[in-house]
Amino acid sequence: MHAHHSIFCIIPPHMLKEIVRNGSAAQRETAMRTLITSEQMRAQRRVMKSMAAFMAAAATSGNKVRAVYDAKNGSALPGTLVRSEGDPASKDPAVDEAYDGSGVTYDLYFDIYGRNSVDNNGLKLDSTVHYQKGYDNAFWDGRQMVYGDGDEDLPVAKRLFNRFTIALDVIGHELTHGVTQYEANLAYWDQSGALNESLSDVFGSLVKQYQRKQTAGQADWIIGEGLFTSNVNGVGIRSMKAPGTAYDDPVLGKDPQPGHMKDYVRTVEDNGGVHINSGIPNHAFYITALEMGGYAWEKAGLIWYKTLTDKLQERSTFQQACDLTFAAAGEIFGTNSLEQQAVKKGWAEVGITVGGDAPTGCLSFILKTFGLVKSSAVK
Amino acid sequence: MMRIIFERSGGIMGSKSSLTIDPDDLPLDQAGTLHRLLNEADFFALKAEPPNRPIPDGFQYTLTVETGTSRHTVRTTDVTMTESLRSLIDELSQIARTQRSG
Repeated sequence: MHAHHSIFCIIPPHMLKEIVRNGSAAQRETAMRTLITSEQMRAQRRVMKSMAAFMAAAATSGNKVRAVYDAKNGSALPGTLVRSEGDPASKDPAVDEAYDGSGVTYDLYFDIYGRNSVDNNGLKLDSTVHYQKGYDNAFWDGRQMVYGDGDEDLPVAKRLFNRFTIALDVIGHELTHGVTQYEANLAYWDQSGALNESLSDVFGSLVKQYQRKQTAGQADWIIGEGLFTSNVNGVGIRSMKAPGTAYDDPVLGKDPQPGHMKDYVRTVEDNGGVHINSGIPNHAFYITALEMGGYAWEKAGLIWYKTLTDKLQERSTFQQACDLTFAAAGEIFGTNSLEQQAVKKGWAEVGITVGGDAPTGCLSFILKTFGLVKSSAVK
Repeated sequence: MMRIIFERSGGIMGSKSSLTIDPDDLPLDQAGTLHRLLNEADFFALKAEPPNRPIPDGFQYTLTVETGTSRHTVRTTDVTMTESLRSLIDELSQIARTQRSG
């Protein structure tokens, strides 16, 4: 299912050049190919970034354009247009929640981070509500948000889920999948996928905190409050404050999220547990934000935003996210600033050390491929 | 005899649910519907979907049907499945939801 081992990651170019100079013929060829590919990628990213910056500068203010569609319990997307930007409220709560929620999400990104929509170029925010029948889910399909109505078709006593637009952080979560797609484009499996999920929870939660004007200490850090009906023993689908404690229910089971590397879950389900292991970076963000105090979107959010847009790459790992948020904090607030120390503490509490020890992920793959290290020396 | 194993994983909760049924154990009209939908989807002739980049928060469905002589598995998602397969997945999703509180 996954295209594993594409050599597409942070390899110091000087190391590759060394291999080209000194390696065997086969090693030389592989290194050359990698160098050429990453040069092309870098050039492409440079052009795209400067174009985005130009477009952003051209727009004097934000360009919030929303549209909400009704799938009328079918599966065809986007469905029938029911509310456009500037239209008055409809009488349908799902339509109005999708409209208002994508508006607040747009506002957080624009007001605080200067970002003009999902693509930083004024992309129209499309949402479809009433997707299918009895659909307990919401997702981002690569172009738009899609929301089910939960268990609307079951008798009240049997319902577990309410409509998915009911939770503002879920709306922020879905739109952030769009932002990530246009930025780091983190591959949606294993650690990069869990980072992708975590960024959606982080900014989803910040959207809710921004709307409520809550400080890090006042916020509940629950994702999806209101999604469960009163038949479920749970407060939401995830807790960033205490991963693994959001629900414990006879039908739904127990919240499976770990909050520390020692409890990292290895599984093939859910693309390698992207919604499970995201508890680890989620908790690191929570600790960082709490440590800094004040509004979480101002400092911790800014550091994570800069990391998402300027530093993370498709196959980034937890260790790299730790090191890159630490670097971003240093760039914004200064080396050894209180903010940078808070980032270090956040990751330390989930078992990840800045500048951590063993090379993992693609670096270890490269080292092994070129025979620079014994396979047993790296994981 | 026939056995249908239906699994759904992923979604914004990242949870897994599964259902194993023999249509013969179901009420007559429900069993008839399932047989009809399997025929309409031409289930045993369905080819594997080409690999797609995963949809963030999308469900992944795995459907296996076993009869005395054959066994076939199909994997799909909400946004990639064909319309004839969708009717079958919808029916199984409904059965799974009504049985989940068990």
